[in-house]
Amino acid sequence: MSRHLAPLLPREDAREAALFFVVCALCFLAAFSGLVSRAAYAAAGAWTSEVTGQLTIRVRGSDADTARALAIVQATPGVAAARALDRADAEELLQPWLGAGGIPADLPLPHLIAAEAAPGATGVGDRLTAALQRAELKTTVDDHVVWSADARRATDTIGLIALSAVALLGATGIAVIAFATHATLLARRDIVELLHLTGAKDSFIAGLFERRFLMLGVQAGALGALFAFGAAAFILFAVRQGDAQTWLLPQLSLSLADGLILGLSPLIAGAVSMLAAKVTVMRSLSDMV
Amino acid sequence: MSDEPVLRFDRVGLSYGPGADILADASLVLRPGSMTFLTGPSGAGKSTLLKLAFLALRPTAGRISLFGLDTGRLKPDALASLRRRIGVVFQEFRLLDHLSAYENVALPLRVMGRPEASYRKDVTELLTWVGLGDRLDARPETLSGGEKQRVAIARAVVVKPDLIIADEPTGNVDEEMGERLFRLFRELNKRLNTTVLIATHDMALVRRANADVLRLADGMVVRAQAPPALQQDTPA
Repeated sequence: MSRHLAPLLPREDAREAALFFVVCALCFLAAFSGLVSRAAYAAAGAWTSEVTGQLTIRVRGSDADTARALAIVQATPGVAAARALDRADAEELLQPWLGAGGIPADLPLPHLIAAEAAPGATGVGDRLTAALQRAELKTTVDDHVVWSADARRATDTIGLIALSAVALLGATGIAVIAFATHATLLARRDIVELLHLTGAKDSFIAGLFERRFLMLGVQAGALGALFAFGAAAFILFAVRQGDAQTWLLPQLSLSLADGLILGLSPLIAGAVSMLAAKVTVMRSLSDMV
Repeated sequence: MSDEPVLRFDRVGLSYGPGADILADASLVLRPGSMTFLTGPSGAGKSTLLKLAFLALRPTAGRISLFGLDTGRLKPDALASLRRRIGVVFQEFRLLDHLSAYENVALPLRVMGRPEASYRKDVTELLTWVGLGDRLDARPETLSGGEKQRVAIARAVVVKPDLIIADEPTGNVDEEMGERLFRLFRELNKRLNTTVLIATHDMALVRRANADVLRLADGMVVRAQAPPALQQDTPA
């Protein structure tokens, strides 16, 4: 039976425990930023797909004017469907601001027409405005595409900031790991020198550090990703428990894409750790005879 | 068998910065199967010369050849292959504290990629031979100075190297163990034609050995005693 041989590099010490914590924290932040970034893009996509093609026409006039306007809207090329909103619909829309049952019966409510543009149709808002003006109706056409583009730009910016944070955290991680590897190498210089003088090739010595830091990166990354998952789940739970208007928040869900982000984090952390260790060790060894 | 020198120093010098040379114009030749002692006062540069010989230092002047190869022209992997042919007994032992005596001795074999089962018997026998058969699993911190030295010697000879370089190998052991260890070097030298270079202050050992003796003084190598057959080998 073979004897169990101790690893050539000693088991981790306090320095590696500190590095483990740092890599874990960086992975947590990177994974969480990744989740936020993806959620922001998902939210932008959801908003855009929801409002694209929807138009609201406000009619200042009588019920007859509203009926005329509806007929014009329905006849305008590019409009797939249109309907006049009745008082009940208007009250429902105003409810968040005025409260349930808070609308006096004699309060005049705007006449609204909800229209939906046909898929792929463009310039529908402009055509409607022109047609309604020709009919000398006092109307305002609200094309959702206009403000949804602003919303999209805002969420894109959030996503970009989160992606930049991921990149910055990744670069910081590489620097920290390289620094820690160098420190570990200095602390283990006696071992490195002895192996070197015993005839170990540089790749053999670097391999010892690569394996050590690969494992450290994967384990710390997995723990960081787990914490990011926990944080996301907590926020999701808190938002759903509360009475918040969650449609406006980034869609922080735990979907397949989120799972991919969480699953890749440890692998990326491991690969980065291994590469940083390899470069640092090979550079240090090149200074020896 | 090739008569190519195992180790050759051609006017080798070593200095750090603008200060005095640690080694100046040192020349020597070690033939295959020779046994040579390196003597000299403390601070003469014996350890430095040995470090140059086992490729821990790079000379600032001159040329060092090992097994016929100019070490200054070799790539790192080729230097690593050369180091595998050299067994070194360091003055300060350089045992790894987190490894047992057995694992320390087996280190060069692990570096070579040999499976543990292939060397278990050899390593155990070697440690038994140096009187440490019952200390296989002992960590260096629990070993005495003499025991550490024996582990270091066992590690140096375990691969049956072509060249053994030892820095004060009997400095921390009693006379009887010193004699026994010297016999080990002698046996390797005679049986396997291993070239041996030993730096020592132990003049009694040197006299008993009847081997070639080099003396290091003022950074230069001077032949102090040489068996007749080797006298013509040292460069002027």
